[in-house]
Amino acid sequence: MSDQTSSFPAEFRAAGTDLSERRRSGVSRGAIVDIDVASAMTEITWDETGAGHIGAFVTIAAIAADARIALNYPAFSAAAAGLATPQIRNVATIGGNLAQRSRCWYYRNPHVACLKKGGPTCPARDGNHLYGVAFDLGPCVTPHASTMAAAILAYDGTIVTTSRPMLQIRNFLGDGSSAQDNSLVPGELITTIQMPPPVPEAGFYKRAISRTHAEWPLVELVTRLSIADGKVRTASLVAGGIAPVPLRLSGAEKVLLGSAISASTIGDACSAAIAAAKPLPMTVYKLQLLRGLMHDVLGRLESNP
Amino acid sequence: MSSATFNGRTESLPADADALLVDVLRDQLHLTGTKLVCGAGVCGACTVLLDGVPVVSCLLPAKAAAGKSITTVEGIGAPRLHPMQKAFMALDALQCGFCTPGFIVEATAFHDLWRAAHGAATPSRDVIGAALSGHLCRCSAYDNIFRAVSEACAGRYDGDVVASPRVEARDKVTGAAKYTVDIKHDGQLEGLVLRSPHAHARITSIDFAPALAIPGVKAAIDLLDSDREVRFVGQQIAAVAAIDRSTAAKGLAAIKIAYSVLPSVIGADAARHASAPLVFTGNATPANASEGTVMRARWKGNVRGPTAAFSQKKKKARAWIAAARAAGDPRLVEGTYRTSIQQHTSLEPHAAVARFDGDRLTIHVSTQSVFELAGKIAKRFKLDRQNVHIVAEHVGGGFGSKGTLGNETMIAIQLARSANAPVRVVFDRDEELSVAGYRPGAEIQVSLLPGADGALKALSMRAHADAGTGVNSMISGLARLIYPAEAKDLVDFDIVSNLPPGAPFRGPGGPPMAFALEQAIDDAALRLELDPIVLRKRWDTNQNRQRLYDWAQGLECWRTIAKPATKTGRYRRGVGVAAGYWLYLWQLNTKVELSVVGGRLSASTAVQDIGTGIRSVIADTVAREFGLEAHEIDVRIGSSNLPEGPTSGGSRTTASVVPPLIQAADKLKAELNKRAGRAPKPGSNAPWRDLIAASPDLRVTAQRGEDDASLARGQRSLLKDAGWIGTIFGWMMRRFSHMAVGAGAPSSVQVVEVEVDTWLGHVRVVQVHTGIAVGRVASMPLARGQAAGSIIQGLGYALYECREVDPKSGVILTAGLEDYRIPGIADTPLIDVHFDEGGFDHVLGGSVGIGEVATVPTAAALANAVYNAIGLRPREIPLRPDRLLSLLEKGSSA
Ligand SMILES: Cc1cc2nc3c(=O)[nH]c(=O)nc-3n(C[C@H](O)[C@H](O)[C@H](O)COP(=O)(O)OP(=O)(O)OC[C@H]3O[C@@H](n4cnc5c(N)ncnc54)[C@H](O)[C@@H]3O)c2cc1C
Ligand code: FES
Ligand code: FES
Repeated sequence: MSDQTSSFPAEFRAAGTDLSERRRSGVSRGAIVDIDVASAMTEITWDETGAGHIGAFVTIAAIAADARIALNYPAFSAAAAGLATPQIRNVATIGGNLAQRSRCWYYRNPHVACLKKGGPTCPARDGNHLYGVAFDLGPCVTPHASTMAAAILAYDGTIVTTSRPMLQIRNFLGDGSSAQDNSLVPGELITTIQMPPPVPEAGFYKRAISRTHAEWPLVELVTRLSIADGKVRTASLVAGGIAPVPLRLSGAEKVLLGSAISASTIGDACSAAIAAAKPLPMTVYKLQLLRGLMHDVLGRLESNP
Repeated sequence: MSSATFNGRTESLPADADALLVDVLRDQLHLTGTKLVCGAGVCGACTVLLDGVPVVSCLLPAKAAAGKSITTVEGIGAPRLHPMQKAFMALDALQCGFCTPGFIVEATAFHDLWRAAHGAATPSRDVIGAALSGHLCRCSAYDNIFRAVSEACAGRYDGDVVASPRVEARDKVTGAAKYTVDIKHDGQLEGLVLRSPHAHARITSIDFAPALAIPGVKAAIDLLDSDREVRFVGQQIAAVAAIDRSTAAKGLAAIKIAYSVLPSVIGADAARHASAPLVFTGNATPANASEGTVMRARWKGNVRGPTAAFSQKKKKARAWIAAARAAGDPRLVEGTYRTSIQQHTSLEPHAAVARFDGDRLTIHVSTQSVFELAGKIAKRFKLDRQNVHIVAEHVGGGFGSKGTLGNETMIAIQLARSANAPVRVVFDRDEELSVAGYRPGAEIQVSLLPGADGALKALSMRAHADAGTGVNSMISGLARLIYPAEAKDLVDFDIVSNLPPGAPFRGPGGPPMAFALEQAIDDAALRLELDPIVLRKRWDTNQNRQRLYDWAQGLECWRTIAKPATKTGRYRRGVGVAAGYWLYLWQLNTKVELSVVGGRLSASTAVQDIGTGIRSVIADTVAREFGLEAHEIDVRIGSSNLPEGPTSGGSRTTASVVPPLIQAADKLKAELNKRAGRAPKPGSNAPWRDLIAASPDLRVTAQRGEDDASLARGQRSLLKDAGWIGTIFGWMMRRFSHMAVGAGAPSSVQVVEVEVDTWLGHVRVVQVHTGIAVGRVASMPLARGQAAGSIIQGLGYALYECREVDPKSGVILTAGLEDYRIPGIADTPLIDVHFDEGGFDHVLGGSVGIGEVATVPTAAALANAVYNAIGLRPREIPLRPDRLLSLLEKGSSA
């Protein structure tokens, strides 16, 4: 195997919850670079503006358990609490979560070639894309895997890397038009996630799955909303599991801003959210799920303006 | 070199960056209580504590443990059992036990945190469900796990009492139980299998020399059939044995192989087309996907059939139904149903460890059939039966997939022979979830015609089974043995395509048959404006089920049943009923031995415990006969050297083993009395205990005899109701499968309550009531566990489990537990089990098996409940969110 190693890039390893599985299967075979944990990377700190700085090595469980995070970034906190399993959350790092590779069942199969592995085509596109995207934005039809990326996008967070001190999360993720999972270059390490100063608002995270727990989201929705005098003042909605990158639902946000939340605004927001959708033959249901999630979350705000 | 503390002992860690903690534990430190199942962080079987925190060791780099303290299951019960272990034992929160170490590690950590924060308060089901969401149990012991966790947290197991209805429970909760995958001989090699990347190809050349040249590779063998063709992706081509796994993998990669790719067709729908390439040509024969003997049948392209032996006046049935259709008869109920392929997903994969000592073969196998397997191996490998010893002390689940001589076993034997060293072959999870068998998928058309008098006049069922390169599925034929009608047209087809073959799975053919038939019965009840149970009572003449229908009618939820489709809003509740049966089977020639050795009583027979609890049933039965406690009986099973015992399949073990045990007990009592110097002390409350303790060594055997027909109260073998074909079928079962079909129908009637989330396409199963008639219950906790487990597997089949393939290449995409979704603990509904203990008085001991009948009606009852909730019929399972939403959308536009 070592002779093949050279053609595979070296990879950082944090807790290994993503990487180990790919190495066992043989999908990833480059050299392993265990991250030398600088102490700052394992801490959550708060600056004078009240903004949180989360070290890339902080575990998902630590984020979910942090009271100040829950208070200041409720949707982000709930997203952390809602992903994977307790044992995974106990070790998985937020840096690893952002940089994790696709969960596409073609990509993860060591015997199948695909775009993400340097192959010529995306086999899921004309193949079985049951869990694929409903917003077909690029060459690859698998949704982005990271729940935390969706949450950070909803907060317009910033990623600090060893070569880029101010990498906007949307630039980190890209627009879905490439087959890469993110814009990191080899050797570039995420060190911190910078959250914005907190504002008073409501925040929600909800995923649609077939079972009760511990399943990758079919669709997930991160929502931040503030309401004053019965009108929506700020709104930020991001859907995951539905596009090659977490998707900001700007159309829906526009509908909501300035309006009271009522059955009809929710309906309009849903229509706006999926207006640009390009579902694949097997993924139309994801648009129904997105509507369902929006009704669920926005509906909670309907009765208490 | 770095090191870590393992259960208090410092050990060094390997330098290899790729080393994972699970392998260090199992291979280097022999801490085999930690199990490797999915290798992907999904199932939790490998969970250990890292500085007190639960983590999955299958993904944890060994390096990450440096300087830390690791606690495995072996470290938890030592020196004294943790209250959680005692609770798992007492409440039987386990079956095969393969998942148990992981659950124990997590649950003890949860317990300690919970108690510290909440004292002895009882955690809610939701809290427990979330805390254990990183664990899967395929036996689905969840119902009892809930109970164990909540009672242990409430402090009910803090005392010193250690007791369990399951005799080997202690070994399972401490990680001491050794499964096939845990066996390690000196000099043991690891065997791996090279599998086809093509759905159909001929292997034109294969060169093992480069593989054999690799240091550490000890054997390489060819596994191809004589036609040198492979017919599905993953079909075995060759195998290599080497000093370790990574060397074996290098060996596989070095084999030089040339393929000539042939045309292939993937999936039943494509294979049916007239233009589809043929899967089988020449002398090649498909695999047998069922337990029955493969009979001759017609082929048309890739479609095999019809087989319709269980029909009854089929021409009449067809004519009546055609006429009713033409006339638009409103009573005619018709529909097409589709059921998905269900993978067995035993947590212990198929595994075998073969070792030759001269011409004696000892082979540990994860098998459902130690005795028969020894004979099959002797025949196949031309060994003396006396020289073949099969061992299966503990088996981590089977569900039908481990009943025959499996490839893993044959490969281990061939490699061991060729390498002249012990060889272990353990399937990876992706092999297990692709090439190790599954319940065939099916498309079933049903037409059901009530007559003008309200009786069932005609039934037609045409099933097309999808079992890849396997054939011989019987689905429609099973509809002969329930709901007698004037005429039945029951036709089965197999459609072959270039996918791995199916295999028998818990109640083969039963759940898909019931899914279609029981929904048609439900529809008929609606048309006839009758309560669905009332209609079943009218049409289903079976005595056992009549009693169960009475029970079901009395259920609160049934009495308050609402009319369908009147419900609106996001969440809609519904209730549904379905019935099912299975054959009462027992194995001919089953023998048991009871002996007194050194003053202790021991019972032996070559059966195996795959989680169903037969070991405990044996101990309980003997204990009861002699007025002893179960722990006073030594039970010897799991070895082919013992007296002939039954295969664990067809729910036959209890009914095969208990009657001869009772006979043997009578014989032994006679012997004890005869030899006793003097009668037991008058008034002794343990007369047999005293006699046994004082007895010289003794040995008696008994063989399973025929049941006493005079006690059968008019019941007969179900096959007797199926005319001449039933007689032939029964004869063939005796002749070729050594199984007898006894009198009476093991039966189940289930009532399921659901709540449908119409926004997110999610079905929450609120409660399942199951009425079960399998005679007297030998051990209540074990029987309850079996019933609950069958239901949860049935719910998995109905709601989540679906094998997905790539339609072009035939690659199995759901080859990991992340994508092949089996139920987790939080998906477990409240389960109410009602045993009707009558009906089997003609069986000595009064009980027959439960494992299959309890899963037959579940998917159907769920579908009827969903119909009741939303007024739309789910004709395809699993009823995933995508399917439920599309059903609702079609419904709202219709
Ligand atoms: C059963 C299961 C369910 C899951 N469900 C979810 C889910 O619902 N939602 C979700 O989002 N995730 C889910 N995950 C994924 C999980 O969250 C990630 O595996 C985890 O967060 C990765 O973190 P890690 O520290 O283990 O990363 P590693 O496995 O160590 O690394 C992952 C990747 O990130 C790179 N990397 C790691 N750290 C850095 C860094 N600081 N800078 C640059 N690159 C880095 C590595 O090179 C590697 O390529 C699930 C995982 C499992 C096993
Ligand atoms: S084996 Fe580690 S989680 Fe399944
Ligand atoms: S007892 Fe859990 S898998 Fe068998």
